[in-house]
Amino acid sequence: MPTSYYLILSFVLFLIGTAGVLLRRNALIVLMGIELQINGGNLALLAFSRQLNDLKGHVFAFLIIALAAAEAAVGLAILVGLFRSRQTINLDEATLMKR
Amino acid sequence: MTFDLRLIPLFPFLGAVLLMLFGRKWSRDFVFVVAALAIGAACVVSADACFFQLPDAGAGGLTDVVGTWIATGDLHIDLAFRMDGLSGVMCMVITFVGLLIHVFAAGYMADDPDYARFFAYLNLFCGAMLVLVLGDSLPVLFIGWEGVGLCSYLLIGFWYSSNDNADAGKKAFITNRIGDFGFLLGMFLLFQYAGSLSVPDITSAATATGPLMQPLWLGQPVAFWAALFLFVGATGKSAQIPLYVWLPDAMAGPTPVSALIHAATMVTAGVYMIARMHAVYMLVPAAMAIVAVVGAATAMFAAVIGFAQNDFKKVLAYSTVSQLGFMFAGVGTGNFDGGIFHLVTHAFFKAGLFLCAGSVMHAMSGSGDIRIMGGLRKKLPVTHAVFAACWLAICGIVPFSGFFSKDSIIAGAFGTEIYGEHLAWVGKLVCVMLMLAALGTAFYMTRLYLLVFSGDETRADEKIKHHIHESPPIMTVPLAVLAIGATLIGLIGLPGGLVHHPEANLLAHELQPVVGAELEVAPSIEWGFMAASLGLAVIGIMVAVAFYRGGYKEPARAFGAKFPGFLRLVQDKFRIDELYDRVFIRPIKTFSRGLFTFVDRIIVDKILVEGTGFVVDIFARLARAVQGGDGQRYMAVFAVGVAVLVHFATQPTLPFTKLKVTQTGRAVEVDAHRGNKQSTRPLEYAFDFGDGRPIVKGTAAEQRHDYDRAGNYTIHVTVRDPRWGTENDLKEKVEVR
Amino acid sequence: MNPVHPAAAAQASSVAPGDAILFAVMAAWVTFFAIFTITRRNPVTAVMSLVATFFGLAAIYASLSAHFLAVLQVLVYAGAIMVLFIFVVMILNREEVAPLALRPMRLLGVAGAVYLLVVVWRVVLRDGDLTGAPSVLPESFGTVASIGDILFKSFLYPFEAISLLLLVAIVGGVVVSRSHQKEAAALRAADYRKQIEHLATHDYPGEQSGKEEPSAAAGGHH
Repeated sequence: MPTSYYLILSFVLFLIGTAGVLLRRNALIVLMGIELQINGGNLALLAFSRQLNDLKGHVFAFLIIALAAAEAAVGLAILVGLFRSRQTINLDEATLMKR
Repeated sequence: MTFDLRLIPLFPFLGAVLLMLFGRKWSRDFVFVVAALAIGAACVVSADACFFQLPDAGAGGLTDVVGTWIATGDLHIDLAFRMDGLSGVMCMVITFVGLLIHVFAAGYMADDPDYARFFAYLNLFCGAMLVLVLGDSLPVLFIGWEGVGLCSYLLIGFWYSSNDNADAGKKAFITNRIGDFGFLLGMFLLFQYAGSLSVPDITSAATATGPLMQPLWLGQPVAFWAALFLFVGATGKSAQIPLYVWLPDAMAGPTPVSALIHAATMVTAGVYMIARMHAVYMLVPAAMAIVAVVGAATAMFAAVIGFAQNDFKKVLAYSTVSQLGFMFAGVGTGNFDGGIFHLVTHAFFKAGLFLCAGSVMHAMSGSGDIRIMGGLRKKLPVTHAVFAACWLAICGIVPFSGFFSKDSIIAGAFGTEIYGEHLAWVGKLVCVMLMLAALGTAFYMTRLYLLVFSGDETRADEKIKHHIHESPPIMTVPLAVLAIGATLIGLIGLPGGLVHHPEANLLAHELQPVVGAELEVAPSIEWGFMAASLGLAVIGIMVAVAFYRGGYKEPARAFGAKFPGFLRLVQDKFRIDELYDRVFIRPIKTFSRGLFTFVDRIIVDKILVEGTGFVVDIFARLARAVQGGDGQRYMAVFAVGVAVLVHFATQPTLPFTKLKVTQTGRAVEVDAHRGNKQSTRPLEYAFDFGDGRPIVKGTAAEQRHDYDRAGNYTIHVTVRDPRWGTENDLKEKVEVR
Repeated sequence: MNPVHPAAAAQASSVAPGDAILFAVMAAWVTFFAIFTITRRNPVTAVMSLVATFFGLAAIYASLSAHFLAVLQVLVYAGAIMVLFIFVVMILNREEVAPLALRPMRLLGVAGAVYLLVVVWRVVLRDGDLTGAPSVLPESFGTVASIGDILFKSFLYPFEAISLLLLVAIVGGVVVSRSHQKEAAALRAADYRKQIEHLATHDYPGEQSGKEEPSAAAGGHH
């Protein structure tokens, strides 16, 4: 498959993730949208890695997966803390700023 | 010759500083010792300088340059002192009379809780006054001038818990300030035209052909206006018309203050200043005429007001104004010796009169109302004796000092020759006015004397009568010394021509190096005026005796009944204060209030201060809208921003690019460059010239085309970026003839 | 980026129909489940569909000869990270009343992102394929051995760094999520037990003073 198709797909994934991040109130769903964005990036990396016959893309993607794991862990811990102090994970309710 | 003249004002200043810092912790006696020592030391040094050093000093007298004060550009002023005959006389008067008054005040103010502060101010005043008379340049003189003004304010309002006292202090200071403005204008003129403000320089510049005689305004020379402006300052400081109004109110201060400041020293500063600037004044007889006439008019005017005053000190206050008028008339007629002579004698007898007032008020439990006094000559013998001596002096009875000094001025006014032909009548007019004033002086002073001391019964109630007692020695000794002075000091100024001894006039001799030769009056005129003024004084006394001997007698009451309105007018001091209030003070207050409500409240507070806050608030609100703390929103903005950036980065041409079409006849040159920059990327251009000819494609941004026919064509250029695959259309209409 | 002639690109991008269908199916799967994820009201459903997305992605990685990463995706991403998500979802399970926040600025942001997609599409797919043909790959491309080789040789530092990062994340997770009250209560309980330790005597059946210490110490580690 031509690399460009994979690129388009990766961007579509990124777009869907962005939509999820921007348009949802539930903090959990927002985090999932972020994961989608990350995965879109991963896909692009791997597509180019194949295109150029260079394993650097794989290594990069590997490190990104590890990073995503760490980020998800801490992010969810913060989310739990947020829930404990605000009793809600609805971002609109949890915010202290004026509308 | 140099001498440490700086010590003379330094001792009192030091005394003032010490008393201000530590006075409250010291005992009353120690405070007095410090203060008296300070002024005493100044007196000793002055005497040494004046009597022992000065004769050997040569032409310029004694000088002391402390250092350079101001040196900028053309202006060079040294902090320098000079003692010559004139300032020597002044120093002796100030320190000697000042010392006596310090001693008196120790007794008078003995019960006052602010004892130390009082002596601190008194010392400060003496220091400032000494600076004034010793100053070798107008700015240094002005330091002293302002300093005594300040001390006057402080001492008049000494008992500041009373609003009236504070108001009196303010009135004195503000009125002085108006005069000071005139003084400053005079200084500015002198500096501008004479190039310097030091006395020797101005004196040497003051020649008939010198820079000061250039015409300035209204055809009058610089010297005229400078002299006039300086005189305005003198009217403020020395209480002449029109700025005398503060002096009567200043009686609210403690009596020693009135004696020292408002009789002997501060108010004489104006006279001294004119004597010091005599070179300038002598250039312009017209200005001197004005000085003399104003002085004489003031002398008459104040004397009339004195007729109807009921407060002991107020009578003396108007008397001071009147006598100052005499002094100004003296210097105004070129009789500088006479003016200074009267200054000296006045210092003694007026101070004596004021201190007697203090003694009497002390005895009358603080009251100064002469209507309830009377018969005090038996109860206050020493005070009575002193008052009598001073009274005779002020009335001008021979051989008391006032006789000689007053006569000197009156005769001098008649015989003066400085006015030339046109203004010769001024001297005669002034002479007449002064004689009338002398008559009035005799009248009201005798009135005062009789109402207070004569008769057998005191008109007050029992409570006050009970407490009447003579003052303690600490107060009576200075009184006695002043009385002796008032009696004998006339001897220093005996007219030389009269006594057939040219050196007899010691004072004139002393002043001669400074102010020039004594005003020579023919002996016959001299004798004539002596007799006339003596006669007038006696008449005045006799009329007063008829009115007031032993109390309010029939003629006094009849006069009061016949002219009640006039009497009230005089009692109300001709309502000058009310006039000033109506004409000057109320408009200024209204203007001030208007400024306050409009400029201060509206412009400054509302518009500038609140307005700034308001504008900042608006911007803050706008800025706040940017940061909502909403992370998702930030990301949304980020995405939009990136989209916009990418869009414009990938377009081949910048927005709003126009085709540049240059026409020459039927040929056109079209330039489709991106904005005004060369594109660094290879772009594909397709030029359609709108005349049906094939489209020109290529990578060139410019194309030439020749039209076959005339007409309106639309040139359509499509720019394409092969890298991004984006395209832009540019259109332009062209008219081909 | 290697410049490629459009002609050569057109040649090399002739794709086998099987590959095309496979790709289409996988792309559809991934896209569908991704959209499903972000539009669910129920977080549990969202998590499960995200897992399905990741499986699809793993398949795509495999088709890209990224074998190691495909497995990694399943094991780590779908396996560990999503499990973590499930835990949290189970703790905090709440249904959304109105899931989508359709605010103007945000819709504008989505529109911007869509425009970016359009740009990318136009750039990449215009005139054929901008990217050109994929290279010919060796057999060992994307295998565990080859990646391990490069990871522990050229990329040792990043590898160690990422493990440090994971350590930080662990500590951070613990620090952020512990409850201060429970921690303080546990400490107090341990102190209390230490204080009353001396009260224990050998009168109590089955207990000796030696045994008390370990349990008191054990009580400290709550």
